[in-house]
Amino acid sequence: MSAEAMVFLFGVIVGAGLLFVKVFFVILISDLEVDYINPIELCNKLNQFVLPEMFVQAFMTFIFLISGQWIATAWNLPLVAYNANKIMNGKHMFDATEIFRTLGQHKKECFIKLGFYLLSFFYYLYRMILALVNDS
Amino acid sequence: MAYSQPPTPNMRPAQAPHPRPGFRPPQQQQQQHFQQHPPQQQQQGQQQHPNLSRPTTPGQQPMNYRPMGNGPRPANSPVGMPRPPLSQDPNSPLLQQGQLRRPSAAGGPIPGSPSNQRPPMAGSHPMQQQPNGAPLQRPPPIGVTSDPGQAPGTFMGQGQQGVPGSPAMNPMGYHAGPPNGQNRSQPPTPKLQHQQHQQPHQGLQPPYQQQTHQQQQQQQQQQQPHQQHQHQQGHQGQDLGAPNAGLMAGPPTPTPQAGAHKPKRMYPTGINAYTESTPGLQPLAGQPLQPNMNQLAGQMGAMNVGSTGFGAQGISPMSTVALMGTAPKILDLDAPPPAINLPETASITQSPYANCDPSYKRSTLNAIPATSQLLTKSRLPFGLVITPYRSVKEGEEPVPVVSDSIIARCRRCRTYINPFVKFVEGGQRWKCNMCYTLNEVPSSFDYDSQTQQPVDRWQRKELNHAVVEYIAPTEYMVRPPQPLVYMFVIDVSYPAIQCGMVATAATTILESLDRIPNDEGRTKVGIITVDSSIHFYNLNTTSGEPQMLVVSDLEEAYLPQPQDLLCNLSECRATLEALLNRMSDMFKDTQNVGNALGPALNSAYKLISPIGGKILCLQASLPNLETGTLKMREDPKLLGTSKESTLLQAASSFYKSFAVECSKSQVCVDMFLFGSQYSDVATLSCLPRFTGGSTFFYPAFTAAKSEDALKFAHELAEFLSQRIALEAVMRVRASKGLRMSAFYGNFFVRSTDLLSLPNVPRDQSYSIEVSYDDNLTIPIVCFQTALLHTSSSGERRIRVLTLAVPVTTSLSELYMSADQVAISTLLACKAVERGMNSKLDDARDALTNKVVDILGVYKTHMTASSSGATPNLQVCDNLKLLPLLTLGMLKHVALRGGSQIPSDLRAYAMHLLSTLPSQCLIPFVHPRFYSLHDMPEHCGTIGADGIEMPQAMNLSSERLTRSGLYMLEDGQNIFLWIGRDAVPQLCMDLFGVPNYESVRGGKTTLPTLESDFNQRVNLIVGKTREMRRTAYYPQLYIVKEDGDAALRLWFLSHLIEDRAEPIMSYYQYLGHLKDRVNSGSF
Repeated sequence: MSAEAMVFLFGVIVGAGLLFVKVFFVILISDLEVDYINPIELCNKLNQFVLPEMFVQAFMTFIFLISGQWIATAWNLPLVAYNANKIMNGKHMFDATEIFRTLGQHKKECFIKLGFYLLSFFYYLYRMILALVNDS
Repeated sequence: MAYSQPPTPNMRPAQAPHPRPGFRPPQQQQQQHFQQHPPQQQQQGQQQHPNLSRPTTPGQQPMNYRPMGNGPRPANSPVGMPRPPLSQDPNSPLLQQGQLRRPSAAGGPIPGSPSNQRPPMAGSHPMQQQPNGAPLQRPPPIGVTSDPGQAPGTFMGQGQQGVPGSPAMNPMGYHAGPPNGQNRSQPPTPKLQHQQHQQPHQGLQPPYQQQTHQQQQQQQQQQQPHQQHQHQQGHQGQDLGAPNAGLMAGPPTPTPQAGAHKPKRMYPTGINAYTESTPGLQPLAGQPLQPNMNQLAGQMGAMNVGSTGFGAQGISPMSTVALMGTAPKILDLDAPPPAINLPETASITQSPYANCDPSYKRSTLNAIPATSQLLTKSRLPFGLVITPYRSVKEGEEPVPVVSDSIIARCRRCRTYINPFVKFVEGGQRWKCNMCYTLNEVPSSFDYDSQTQQPVDRWQRKELNHAVVEYIAPTEYMVRPPQPLVYMFVIDVSYPAIQCGMVATAATTILESLDRIPNDEGRTKVGIITVDSSIHFYNLNTTSGEPQMLVVSDLEEAYLPQPQDLLCNLSECRATLEALLNRMSDMFKDTQNVGNALGPALNSAYKLISPIGGKILCLQASLPNLETGTLKMREDPKLLGTSKESTLLQAASSFYKSFAVECSKSQVCVDMFLFGSQYSDVATLSCLPRFTGGSTFFYPAFTAAKSEDALKFAHELAEFLSQRIALEAVMRVRASKGLRMSAFYGNFFVRSTDLLSLPNVPRDQSYSIEVSYDDNLTIPIVCFQTALLHTSSSGERRIRVLTLAVPVTTSLSELYMSADQVAISTLLACKAVERGMNSKLDDARDALTNKVVDILGVYKTHMTASSSGATPNLQVCDNLKLLPLLTLGMLKHVALRGGSQIPSDLRAYAMHLLSTLPSQCLIPFVHPRFYSLHDMPEHCGTIGADGIEMPQAMNLSSERLTRSGLYMLEDGQNIFLWIGRDAVPQLCMDLFGVPNYESVRGGKTTLPTLESDFNQRVNLIVGKTREMRRTAYYPQLYIVKEDGDAALRLWFLSHLIEDRAEPIMSYYQYLGHLKDRVNSGSF
C-alpha cells in the first residue's frame, strides 16, 4: 500500500467520523426545534464535540499538507481558517442563552459542513481507490 | 404665583392614568384635549384624535344593545321577531337561568335544543356540514341606551357629510327597512344610499351573495363590516354556526337586530372632525391635502385583498397629519392606544373586561394583517409587549382569582378557556378560539357538586375577565410550591465598606425584614459576605448570637456546615437582627481589596439550589479572585468606535453559564452594583438577564451623600417587599397561523416558545416578536399569555392574559391601528439587542430605517402623493410621535453615539430599555419637561385625581427662559433647572436661600419650607416619584444655568428636540427622514 493510499484511507476514516458528528449535530438541533431536548442539555452535548471536530479536521489537513496532497489541503484550508477565526472570537461554542436566537445560523452552518464533509468523504474514497488501483 | 408671567389659562396635565380600552370616558378626554390646544387648532386636534374622541366602546355603555349574535334561530320564527320586553336585564336571574337552554334569548324566548333550532333550509347549504351545533352566546342585555358620547345631532351631521370611506353600516342601514323602536336616530342619508349602490361593484359580489351578506350581518351583528366579509368569504365553515345556513335563500327581511345605534358605533367621531377640519389642516400642514384620502385609502385596502373586495368598507377615516412645521403633540404620549375594534359578539360574556388591558399586554398592531405579505408591505413591526406581573396600586382592581381549581383548557393546543371561545352544542362543549377544537365544558361550570347547587357559568371569572389567575392544582407542580428564599451575597471588601454600601444595606435589610413577604412563615433568609474569603453565618445558634464561618479556600469553596446557613426568617429573626446590626462594624477596619464573587455565588447557589430562590448580590468592587474574575476593560479609545459593543458584551463566560445553571434550579440573581469606578455592568447584568432578575446600578455611590443612601435604601426596600412570583414559566399562544419568533427581556428561553423565569419581579416587561406561519383566515386573532408561577404566598397559580385583536386585510386599517408606544417599546428592545450583539451604529441605523420604511409605505400607499417628492412628511395620527420617540432613542444614553458615555452607564441604560414597561419606558426615552415658575395655581395642589401636575412641554431649550424654573424627569432622575436670572423671591420660596448665587447645584433634596410654592414643588416631585409602577426612585438634581458644566450638559442632553452634536434636532431629523422617504421607493 502506497503512502498516498494510506493518507486517503486515513482521510476516509476521519471523514466518515466527521460526517457522523455533523449528522449528530443536525439531529440534536432539530430535536431542539421540536422541543425534545432543552437548550442546556443540547449545548452540553454539542459543546464537547465542537473542539475535537475542529481539531481532527485541522489535523487531517496537516497530514494532507505534509504528504503533499495539495488539492486536498487546499480544499480543507478554508474550513480550518474559518474554524480558527471562530475560536479566536470565542464564538465556537453553543451558548444556551443565545441558542434560539442563533438557531437558524447554527443549522445552516451544520448543513453546509455536512455537505462539505460528504463531498470530502467521496473525494478521499475516490483518491484512495485510485491510489490502490495504481499500486497494483 | 408671580415669578414671571401670569399663570397660563387652565392647563391641565395629561397625566391621567390610561383608561381601559373598553372603558374610556370619552367626553372627558375630548374636552381635556381641546383645552390643551389653542383654539385655531381645535379642528385639527379633534381630527387627530379619532380614538380619543370616539364616543362609544362596547364596554362603556351601561346597557348594550346587543342584538342576537351567532345564536341559533329557530326555523319557524320570523327573522324579525318581536323582542322580549326591553326591561330585561342581563343580570336578572330569570334570564340567566334559562340561558343555557335558551341561548337565543335575544331573538325571543324559544325553548328547544339547538338541534331543533336549525333552520330547515340548512340542508341546502354547505354550512350544514358543520357538526357543532349552534354556538352558544350569552343572551345579550337588551335595551338601548343613548350613546353617552354622542348627541344624535352629531351623528346626523356625519351621515350627511358622507365620508366615502366609511359606509360601514349601510347594507343594514339601508336594507333593514323601517327601524324599530330602537332605530331611532338614523334616517338613511343620500350619501349612504349612494354607497350602497356602489357596493356590488366594489366587492365584485353577485347580488344574491350580497343579500346573504346582509343577512349575515343582521345575524351576527358584526360591528365591523370588515369582519363581515371575512365571515362571509370562506370562513363561515369555521366560525359560524348552522343558523346562518338557512338564511342563504331568505329574503332580505328587515330585522330589528340591525341595530340602530350600531352605525353610530362604527363611526368614530373623528370622521366628523376629519371632514370638517380638512381646511383647517392646510395652513398648518403647509401643503394641499388630498381631497379623497379616505376613498383612496379605501381603494388601497380593497386592492390589497383583491377579490375579497369591500376593503373600503369599515375603514375608519384615516386622519393623516403632517409632521413638519409643527411641534410634536407630546401630550398624546399618554393617550391610550388605538381602540381594538372587535365586534360586540366577539366575547361571549361581553364583559367590559373581556379584553386585555394595555398595561398588561399590548400589541403593536391593534388590527392584525391577514397575510404576512400585507405585514411585510406595511413594514410595521408586529409584536407584543407583555407586563404580566405588573403591580396593582391602591384603587386599581386586583387580578380576579379563580379559586375552585376548575381549569378548562383546550385538549389540543392547551389554551385556557377565555372570553373569546364559543359555546356550542347547547353549551355542552366549547370551541377553542385558537385551534377550533371542540372541548367538553367541565360539568362544574354549571353545577357545584359540593354545595349541590347549579351555578351560573356566565359569572365565571375566566369568561368575564381577560386577566385572571387560577389556583393551580397539583398537576401543575413538579414539587410543592417553594418558599421564598432570599440569599444575600454582600461585598465587604474595602471599596464596599468605604462607600458605605454595607452599612446602608444592612440597615435597609434590617428595616425591611417586616416587609419581606412572609405570609406562611416559610420565607428563608441567608447571608454571605465576601471579600478575599467567603463568610457564612450560622443564624440558628442557641445563644442567639450569629456565628461566622470563614471559608478561605476559594478553589473548592465548600459549605462549612450543611444546615442553618439558610434560616427561616421568623425563627431566626433575633439572630439575623443581631447580625445586621453588627455588620457595618464587623468590617469597618478592613483593608482587604479582594473580592471572590464567583466562588461566593457558587456557594450561595449550592445553598439554595435545592429550593430555588433569589440571590441578591450587592457588589461594590470588581470581582478579582478565582472564577468570575473581571478586569477593568473600559478603554476610552474604544468608546464611540465600532468596537464599543465588545464592552457591552459579557467579558467572562462564567456569568453566562452560571446564569444557565441558576435558571435550571429556579434560582434568580439580582444585582445591585455600586461603582466608584468601573463595575462591568455589562458582564454582571448577564446574571439577572437570564434568570429573570433585576439590575440596579448606583454610579459613584457614597452613603455619605444622604440622597445616594436614600435612593438605594428606597429601591432595596421596595425590591425586598415586592410580592414576586417564583419558579415561573411563561408561554404565549396565538391563533393558528401566528408564531412567537423572538423574545426580549430578562428570562431564559427554554424551548422554542417557553420562557423560564426563576423569578418574576413586578413591573418587568417582556417584548415578543410575532411572525406568520400561515395566512390568517379568521376574523379575530387571540394571544394568550400563561404565566405559571408560585406566588409569594406559596400558592401555585396560573395567570392568564388574553388579548383579542381583529384581523384586517386593509393597509389603512393596519396603519390606523398601530400603537406607537408599543412599537417604540419593541423597537427599543430590538435596538438594544442589535447594539449589544453587533454595532451601535447598526442599531441606530436600523431604528431610522424602520421609521423611514413606515413613513415611506404610508406615503406611497396611503396618501395621494404616492410617488415623487413631497414637501412634507405625513403619517397617520396614531403614529405621529414615532419619529420623536425614535429620535429619543437615538439620543438616549443607551444608543447615542459619541465617546462620552461610559460603558457601565450604557449597559445599564440598555438593561432598562429592554425591561421597563411602556409606562416607564416612554418617559425614559422622552422625558417629561415642566415649567414650574409659571405653572397655574392649581398645579401641585391636590385635585380630583390626586396631585395635579403642570402641563408637559416639548423637549426643546427654546422653552427655557433665563428667569425660569423647570423640571425634567425621566423616571430615573429628576432635574430642576434654574435660570440665572431667577428672581430672589423664587429662590427664597423654593430653596430658602436669598438669591440665585446661593442655590447649590447637584444632587440634593428639596428643603421643606412653609412657602406655598415650595410645598407645591415638593408635591410635584413626590408625585413624580410614585406615579409610575416601578421600584425606581428618581434622584433630584438641581441644575444651575451657569453651574457645573457636566450636569448642565447632562440635563441638556435630555432636550431631544434640540440639536446635540452629532445628532440632529427634531426638525433636522424630520428633514432627513423626508429626504430618505422621497428618494426611496416603497
